[in-house]
Amino acid sequence: MSHGGESAPLVPNLFDVCKVLTLAILGLVDAILDGIGAAIPPLGPPLAGLSDFLLGNFVVTVVTWIIAMTVILLWATLFNLLTVMWLERKFYSRIQDRYGIMISIWSLPFWPFNRRDRPTHKGTGYLQNVADGLKLLQKENLTPATADAAMFHISPVLIASSTLMLLVALPWSSGFYIARLELGLLFVLAAFSLAPIGILIAGWSANNKYTLIGGLRAAAMLLAYEIPMILCAIALVFSTGSLNLFDIVEQQERPLIDFGLFAIPAWYAFGPQILGFLIFTVAMVAEMERIPFDIPEAEAELVEGWTTEYSGMRFGLLFGFKWLRMIAGAALIVTMYLGGWSGPVFTRLYVGNIPIPVFPEELYFLVKVWLLCLVFIWISWSVPRIRIDQILQIGWKRLVPYSLLAVLIGAGSRVVRP
Amino acid sequence: MVDWELVAFVALSAIEIVASILVVTNKRLVRAAFWLAITLVTIGGIYLLFRSEFVFLIQILVYAGTVPVLLLFGVMLTRRKIMDEATVEGS
Amino acid sequence: MPEFWVNMGPQHPMTHGLWNMRVKVDGETITDAEPEIGYLHRGYEKIMEVREFEKNVVLTDRLCYVSSITWSHVYCLAVGRMMGVEVPERGQWLRVVSLELQRVASHLMWLASYGPDLGLLTGLLWALRERELFLDLIQLMSGMRMNQNYPRIGGVRNDVPENFDAMCRRSIEHFLGKLKGYEKLFHESKIFLMRTQGVGKISAANAIDWGVTGPNLRACGLNVDLRRLDPYETYEEVDFEPQVWRGADGGDSYARFVCRFNELRESCGIILQAFEKMPKTGAYRTKAPRRAEGEGFARTEDSRGEALFYVVGDGDDRPYRVKIRSPVFSTMAATPILLRGNKLADVVAILGSVDVCVGEMDK
Repeated sequence: MSHGGESAPLVPNLFDVCKVLTLAILGLVDAILDGIGAAIPPLGPPLAGLSDFLLGNFVVTVVTWIIAMTVILLWATLFNLLTVMWLERKFYSRIQDRYGIMISIWSLPFWPFNRRDRPTHKGTGYLQNVADGLKLLQKENLTPATADAAMFHISPVLIASSTLMLLVALPWSSGFYIARLELGLLFVLAAFSLAPIGILIAGWSANNKYTLIGGLRAAAMLLAYEIPMILCAIALVFSTGSLNLFDIVEQQERPLIDFGLFAIPAWYAFGPQILGFLIFTVAMVAEMERIPFDIPEAEAELVEGWTTEYSGMRFGLLFGFKWLRMIAGAALIVTMYLGGWSGPVFTRLYVGNIPIPVFPEELYFLVKVWLLCLVFIWISWSVPRIRIDQILQIGWKRLVPYSLLAVLIGAGSRVVRP
Repeated sequence: MVDWELVAFVALSAIEIVASILVVTNKRLVRAAFWLAITLVTIGGIYLLFRSEFVFLIQILVYAGTVPVLLLFGVMLTRRKIMDEATVEGS
Repeated sequence: MPEFWVNMGPQHPMTHGLWNMRVKVDGETITDAEPEIGYLHRGYEKIMEVREFEKNVVLTDRLCYVSSITWSHVYCLAVGRMMGVEVPERGQWLRVVSLELQRVASHLMWLASYGPDLGLLTGLLWALRERELFLDLIQLMSGMRMNQNYPRIGGVRNDVPENFDAMCRRSIEHFLGKLKGYEKLFHESKIFLMRTQGVGKISAANAIDWGVTGPNLRACGLNVDLRRLDPYETYEEVDFEPQVWRGADGGDSYARFVCRFNELRESCGIILQAFEKMPKTGAYRTKAPRRAEGEGFARTEDSRGEALFYVVGDGDDRPYRVKIRSPVFSTMAATPILLRGNKLADVVAILGSVDVCVGEMDK
């Protein structure tokens, strides 16, 4: 980018930031221990040894890791998940010509929000998802009497853990990541491929004809649509030469056509990978089990499909993690094809002598991911759902040949323009 | 000091051996498939200990993602009695 | 997996009403079907023997509660023929207007429930939004949005308010503009065509044999519309076109959908013509006698097909016997033919296109 400058992250290194926090917390604990040691003389030496141990390498590293993992988890689930759920509910409500969720902050029951003179239902509705989560938490967790209890309880764990594994490899900017994996792309695809087994066990263990049918349909569909996804990823790797998500984004930062005043960046979606981009997006919509591919949990036919017998927070986990998979899938598509977090930083503000970019990379990434999620939501709520045998036909008979064609094009582009 | 690699290796191998024994001895086929998934994932973990991340990922992608699923498909599509009786046996 | 019976109902979110559809599936394909009805049976034909003739209009409203005026109208027509009561001309035109308004509201309710059957939840809210226009018009005309108690033996209960025709015209113009949006949502959606074309086919011969009537029969290519074949009220003076499926591949869900959808436009045209042709003033009701003897028979084109009433009086002020023929009851018997060979996921799409109303089916 010639004009605005390179892209810059707001968080240059997550672990450095977390280490500062760790040292602050441990320093406070150390000061407290010193104070106790000074007040009660017999306890002095053992407490000094304890504070030495606490400030040693081992504890600092462990606590830094814990804080970093918590930050990423909260960022993904607390901030992103709630925001995308809110976006979805408002957006599809407007498509349906109604207002959507409208609960306002004045409906909270504690001070300072419990004022009587403010309207409670003319707000933005952001808190509605929190309220729904709390509602699910306080519901009774029912287990069907004839269900296989061990499998019934363990399948939400399987699904949730395979979804959370995605957060390990998915970077949110060039500094905001947990692990910089050399094989990041493959890791994310592997985490997506672990979902069918949890769904199948969930559908079976409830001992219910309908959930079994739903689970079988879901597993068949997910397996069928993994193939085009992996083939399109292979086509992409021909162009990038690396499975490292950071390299993929860096390669998309250079300009494709430079007009002087602005430039079109060399996103992979603009080049010969366009077919791969489209096929990957369609396959990802199917992996996310959104309408038009949501026959496994079609309310019209099978009540809730394979999640029918789950109640309370187990259902909440399965339901909410569907959205988390949507965010992770959109993030993957943005990273692979739409330039990731690259975007011009127009100016920087200086706080003290720390430069803070006005348009940091995280902002670009979030905006792109949320816009892509909006496109998925738009498609979902405008079309009917496809029948399962038609879904499998589309997957095997149309997407797989097209993705093979995309592999050929990717390989060809490598030969023509190495 | 403690050799953490050895500890990890022993732990993973123990889980894997126990899981593989449970695969072949369990009377309920659905649980056998679950233990099979556990076995394959821990084998992948051992590959990770040997610094072969690529083989670990391919193990997860190809083995743990598809083989238990196919086993469960085979069980669920050929079982006769699940629909007629209310029991839960997967055998 | 061997064949087994699946119960779709009686509590099912998408079978629209309280009945049980039992289907026998082999894997995913349906090999047989057996509807279990009667959950909503209220004993109409017996109750109506205990009430006076006029009071029965309240009951017939609730036969099919989505399309109340059409059912009360066919009852009033039958009793009127039994008593020999002549309806004045303005009353006949008012009946036509109320029937067509009710038909549009009923078809919009069908459209609103058909969308979510296929996964298109946006269709629910759009169709209900348009239905509000017509429910407002019906409320202006008769005082209620449903179960209006509006037709009377010998006419209608009350006259319409001033400039009602202007209000109708405004609502209908707005509605006809919105129909293009519906066509984009339904007809032009490839996925919708994939879900409904070729699904749930019934041949014309089978349809006649099993007593299927209404838009379901017109979708098979047969031009059978009782408003043209056996005209009642002033339908002879109205210019409209029964929506028949032209083409070779009729009888499937898509043909039923298109025939019923196009009736929306035709009904709006009938309403506008009625306002031009009806006398501006005049009586709208003839007083009917209390007691009657004889028999009266009437059949009309209800929103769902051929509705038939046969009333026998024996000189008392209440009917001796009332026989009701519901179109959905006969169509329900044909569901094995409609469903056989299709997939389990198609059941909801097929039954939605048939437009089941359990109230009139179970009586």
